[in-house]
Amino acid sequence: MLSRVALRSVAGQQSVSTTLVARTSATSTEIVGVRDEKNFPRPVRGEPGKVRLGFIPEEWFQFFHSKTGVTGPYTFGVGLTTYLCSKEIYVMEHEYYTGLSIILMVYYATTRFGPKIAKWLDSEVDKVETDLNSDRVETLKFLEETIASEKDAQWRAQGQELLVQAKKENVLLQLEAAYRERLMNTYQEVKRRLDFQLEKTALERRFEQKHLVDWVVTNVSRAITPDQEKQTLDRCIADLAALAKK
Amino acid sequence: MAIGDYPKEYNPAVHGPYDPARYYGKADTPLAQVKLSELGAWFGRRNKTPSAVTGAISRAWWRWQHKYVQPKRVGMAPFFQLLVANMIFFYSINYGKIKHHRNYKYH
Repeated sequence: MLSRVALRSVAGQQSVSTTLVARTSATSTEIVGVRDEKNFPRPVRGEPGKVRLGFIPEEWFQFFHSKTGVTGPYTFGVGLTTYLCSKEIYVMEHEYYTGLSIILMVYYATTRFGPKIAKWLDSEVDKVETDLNSDRVETLKFLEETIASEKDAQWRAQGQELLVQAKKENVLLQLEAAYRERLMNTYQEVKRRLDFQLEKTALERRFEQKHLVDWVVTNVSRAITPDQEKQTLDRCIADLAALAKK
Repeated sequence: MAIGDYPKEYNPAVHGPYDPARYYGKADTPLAQVKLSELGAWFGRRNKTPSAVTGAISRAWWRWQHKYVQPKRVGMAPFFQLLVANMIFFYSINYGKIKHHRNYKYH
């Protein structure tokens, strides 16, 4: 196929170049036309032709069948041999007997060793064929393996996509966690400061109160004179006495 | 057409791979289907140049090759055929000498 294309392109180039030079070479062999598969099919390597008696083609017997029946070709053969021998067209000289003995030996060798040799040769033929085919078969196997590994790689790439997606989600989760942590941190810091303010205010008020109370008490107790104290004591004793009477 | 070239009628674009057993010219009636009365005319139409005769013999040889010698698992048939053909050929070329070994004078 490729060689034909190459031939065609070469022919095309030639026709261009030869118009410039002289028209002496055989440019008339133009390779144009449509492939006629119907009338000129590709030759196929068939089975060997059938023979009878070791060498006579089966077609010879088929040729006789319609005219003389099944025994016709054999009768013809025997008749012809008889004719040739009786008229001494075939002369039985000394070589004839040599030939008979050689035929006997060939027959014995063929029937005795033929099947074994055929088996061995067939195995050799198979070996040669597998040798010739092995390149193609191995290339096919290699290509199939390549396709399989390519599909595997594609499958893995899809897995990689999933992984990347999971990683992205993971990063988002981490961001969310960090955000929440900071939010919590802020909340706690604010709460701590507020708590401090609260405590401080409460403490100040307590101190103020205590101080004021102390101050008032001190001032009041300082304001009480000894006379007043005595009067009060006396009054108290008088009250107690009055209560005791009751 | 020089020696070793393809036949003039062979066109690789139309005929595909070259088959040496095939005739690429215009097909005539096969010899087996020719009537006896038309045999002379049929023979008159044949190309009898040396190259055409050589081509015909070559095609016959390749037809025999493809049928008996080239298949994958051949038996002894082609060898026996060659043997018998050789026997007949050599008998006929030596017939002039063998003739003198006849045993009978009258037939």
